[in-house]
Amino acid sequence: MWYFAWILGVSMAVLLASMAATMCDAKDCALDAAERGNPKI
Amino acid sequence: MDYESLKLIWWLLVGVLLIGFAIMDGHDMGVGTLLPFIGKNDLERRAVINTVAPHWEGNQVWFVTAGGAIFAAWPLIYATAFSGFYWAMMAALWALFFRPVGFTYRSKIKNPTWRSTWDWGLFIGGAVPPIIFGVAFGNLLLGVPFQFDDTLRSTYTGTFWQLLNPFGLLAGVVSLSMVTFQGANYLMLRTEGDIYRRVRTASLIFGLATLVTFALAGLWIMKGIDGFAITSHINPNALPDPLDKTVVKETGAWMKNYTTYAWAMWVPITTFIAIALGIMFARLHKAWMAFIASSVTCAGIIGTAGVSMFPFLMPSSSDPRSSLTVWDSVSSELTLGLMLGATVVFMPLIIFYTSWAYKVMWGKVTTDFIKANDHSVY
Amino acid sequence: MISTELVDISRLQFAVTALYHFLFVPLTIGLAVMLVAMELTYVTTGRPIYKDMVKFWGKLFSINFALGVTTGITMEFQFGTNWAYYSHYVGDIFGAPLAIEGLMAFFLESTFIGLFFFGWDKLSRWKHFMVTVFMALGSNLSALWILIANGWMQNPIGTEFSFITMRMEMTDFWSIVFNPVAQAKFVHTVSAGYVTAALFVLGISSYYLLKGRDLDFARRSFRIAAGFGFASALSVIVLGDESGYSVGEAQHTKLAAMEAMWHTEPAPAPFVVFALPNEKTQTNDYELKIPYVLGLIGTRSVSQTIPGIAEIKEKNRARIVNGVIAVKALEQLRKDKTNTAALATFNAHKDDLGFGLLLKKYTEDVAAATPEMIQQAVDSTIPKIAPMFWSFRIMVALGFLFLALFSFALLYSIKGNFIEKRWLLRWALWFIPMPWVAAELGWIVAEYGRQPWTIYGVLPTHLSVSSLTPGNVYASLAGFVAFYTALLIVEMYLMVKYARIGPSSLGTGKYHGEDQLGGGAIPAGAPADKI
Ligand code: HDD
Ligand code: HEM
Ligand code: HEM
Repeated sequence: MWYFAWILGVSMAVLLASMAATMCDAKDCALDAAERGNPKI
Repeated sequence: MDYESLKLIWWLLVGVLLIGFAIMDGHDMGVGTLLPFIGKNDLERRAVINTVAPHWEGNQVWFVTAGGAIFAAWPLIYATAFSGFYWAMMAALWALFFRPVGFTYRSKIKNPTWRSTWDWGLFIGGAVPPIIFGVAFGNLLLGVPFQFDDTLRSTYTGTFWQLLNPFGLLAGVVSLSMVTFQGANYLMLRTEGDIYRRVRTASLIFGLATLVTFALAGLWIMKGIDGFAITSHINPNALPDPLDKTVVKETGAWMKNYTTYAWAMWVPITTFIAIALGIMFARLHKAWMAFIASSVTCAGIIGTAGVSMFPFLMPSSSDPRSSLTVWDSVSSELTLGLMLGATVVFMPLIIFYTSWAYKVMWGKVTTDFIKANDHSVY
Repeated sequence: MISTELVDISRLQFAVTALYHFLFVPLTIGLAVMLVAMELTYVTTGRPIYKDMVKFWGKLFSINFALGVTTGITMEFQFGTNWAYYSHYVGDIFGAPLAIEGLMAFFLESTFIGLFFFGWDKLSRWKHFMVTVFMALGSNLSALWILIANGWMQNPIGTEFSFITMRMEMTDFWSIVFNPVAQAKFVHTVSAGYVTAALFVLGISSYYLLKGRDLDFARRSFRIAAGFGFASALSVIVLGDESGYSVGEAQHTKLAAMEAMWHTEPAPAPFVVFALPNEKTQTNDYELKIPYVLGLIGTRSVSQTIPGIAEIKEKNRARIVNGVIAVKALEQLRKDKTNTAALATFNAHKDDLGFGLLLKKYTEDVAAATPEMIQQAVDSTIPKIAPMFWSFRIMVALGFLFLALFSFALLYSIKGNFIEKRWLLRWALWFIPMPWVAAELGWIVAEYGRQPWTIYGVLPTHLSVSSLTPGNVYASLAGFVAFYTALLIVEMYLMVKYARIGPSSLGTGKYHGEDQLGGGAIPAGAPADKI
């Protein structure tokens, strides 16, 4: 059932993408931003 | 449900889709047609464009879906009409090209030439398709020179220029006036000040034009045009085979349905009343009522053409036997049933979310609003 | 007789307009889903930068979308205008998915796209997010229905020919929807769209990183693209393999052509990495093979054989000979629908009707076909090998390169040091056009590989055309080329311009070029074309 696989696959890809970005907020990007005195963007 | 009822339902449903197209896409095509004339400067034009900015795309799908539905429900009409009217179709298509790019690209660059070029593009995309569709309808009423061979391959024997006969052109003007009337009434709802004053005048002019040209076309059909009539026995439940009948051409045949079914007279009568009311309401500054009246006008004009020709869809002037009708241009019972199911499920949903989208975006679009949202609106 | 010139020019027009439509489709499909990912991050974290991200990539999305719609309408018209006999012959099946696509997908996508762009201030955060979700759903569903239609052309199941209506009629809708070829095609094609969008975002973000501007914006976009792209690149390969494997005779012929397999090889067949296919000798020059691999991919076993070109041709020859009987019986039936003897003959041979019709290209009366004509028809059932062989190999090679690129991108995203990997950023930037190349080549494999059929085994391309004169089609083709070239120039100009301006095009006052100019609105001295 490839249609079903698609639904699962897209949802997972979207979550993976979103997580990759939030990791940025938690780690390196946050450090940089703090350096420039602008912690919340 | 039997095959006959399905055939009739699909005649109604294609009508509904065409009417939906005229009401919805019609109003933004009317807006496009009026754009260069009622917007005197860039800000005003942007205000006009932004009354339809969030909606034209969805509206255009009425057109796309009507095309798809004709393909699915009446494949022979789709094949014969689109290939026969080849150059008319190309012209409509190429005119439609200007809309998506016109709307989206116009305000992305701040250069007056760039912007006014796209404004004229939007004008072409708004005015040319309704004219062509009107001309095509006019020619359907006259009959189209085409015939089928043994394997049901159709050949069109006319030329593009033949479509531009006086009656066809008159039908084109009816269609353009109707759509512009509709667009003007919509703009009355969504604009104010100078623009409002100008579109109200436009509404009066095009309402009147619709009234006059529609009446003229009616007289012409009554007196001057040969209609078509089936002379052999038709079994509406039979498998569709367009070559299995005999047809004659006769004056006044397009009026027959009105004598056989007296109620049918109400279709043109309602149309005339709706046009008159539309003009009156526009005069009285009752924009909502005017818009409803012109929407009824769209339904009435398309309905009148349909009812006059029933059961014909595309009569053949050169080989009347090849004429396509509601009974013999359709797809199989299974496909019709299935498509009916899909329409019953999706149409209410579409109407629901389309109305919601209009509700969310409702309100007057002013030049101040455009200034304040320079970066986010069209 | 239908002129070959008319058929060729109609094919050319279809190919040009379809390939052109598909320049815009993948980005629409993929970017819509990425916008969902970005907005999801916005609604969950509440950070305004993600909102700017949705808006900025949304702007580029809108520039692309406009041409997707424009060129899509051409496609819809074209079946009627240029492929009228096709539309009549299979409209009963083919029209339905197209109409359902309108009802289910285009309405959804096109209604919500308006709210997506203009509804920011009128909708709550979550409501706007849902609008974006529906927009993405709509664009993906449109791919679903058109590919169901296209999948049926490759593997026509669930239908039967009726001699009274002289066309194919639907007998089983669900088998058409769940056609294995359509399923594989759908997932492979939308994944291709996701890869396209991911690389687009990755590449443009890399450009900002290379220039050292808008770092906060670019590094977050880069990460989203890396995560999304990695998953998509993986799936495009897995599902591309499924496309090759999916059942159906059309696929067997294509497989043999893609692999330049002139003769059936003993199982498991080797995979040809490099060769120069030679049409004259019907062999490959300079072959380089890896044993077993094709057998494993193509049949998922070590014992089944994959039919070679010579063998497929012999099968087709038998079907053509059989088909001639069906065509003759059909002609009698069309003259006299009550002829029971003809009906019995027809029913016995109707599976091969399409093969008999192949001869119509060479002679009006198929029963009088000479052995040379039959040989020509047999040869025509196999597409030219070299274009298939190379298109396929380039697509697959690109697929693996994408996977490598996204693997690095994701790896260094996790480590958090991708800004230092300038080779990676440059690679991403210069690779932006490649997914388009792969996708266009994919369509060439799929469509050219289906020749000489429009509906495999049912309706030859030669018979599918409208009754037009070639002159008409030359003229319309010239019109399309002129319009499309102009539109492409305008589109590329805007796309490059906005990609260069970057998020400062939103006018929020936070991004590159705005702060040193005083922030906020466009300063008085800025060039007039800067919006
Ligand atoms: C894999 C996906 C795919 C494929 C194979 C096709 N399309 Fe397409 N089409 C889309 C995916 C898409 C889309 C993603 O939904 C588009 C592209 C950009 C857009 O605006 O919507 C679209 C737009 C689009 C539109 C405009 C819709 C609107 O007004 O909103 C039409 C009428 C068509 N297409 C018709 C066709 C036809 C007749 C095709 C077959 C030859 C075809 N498309 C192939
Ligand atoms: C290892 C990687 C890949 C493999 C094995 C593969 C395999 C295939 C096959 C066998 C087909 C033909 C299907 C048919 O004839 O019906 C196909 C078609 C196609 N490919 Fe690929 N492919 C790969 C990578 C890619 C990439 C990277 C893209 C684009 C980004 C792409 C885009 C397409 C498209 C758009 C089609 C046409 C639609 C279809 O028929 O499914 N492919 N691919
Ligand atoms: C789903 C609906 C589709 C239909 C009914 C269809 C049908 C056809 C037809 C009738 C032709 C001309 C005959 C020929 O193959 O040469 C053709 C060619 C072609 N189509 Fe499709 N096609 C479809 C989808 C697509 C799409 C969406 C694309 C990709 C963008 C595509 C790519 C091509 C290509 C590249 C050719 C040229 C092949 C050649 O000239 O031999 N097709 N197709």
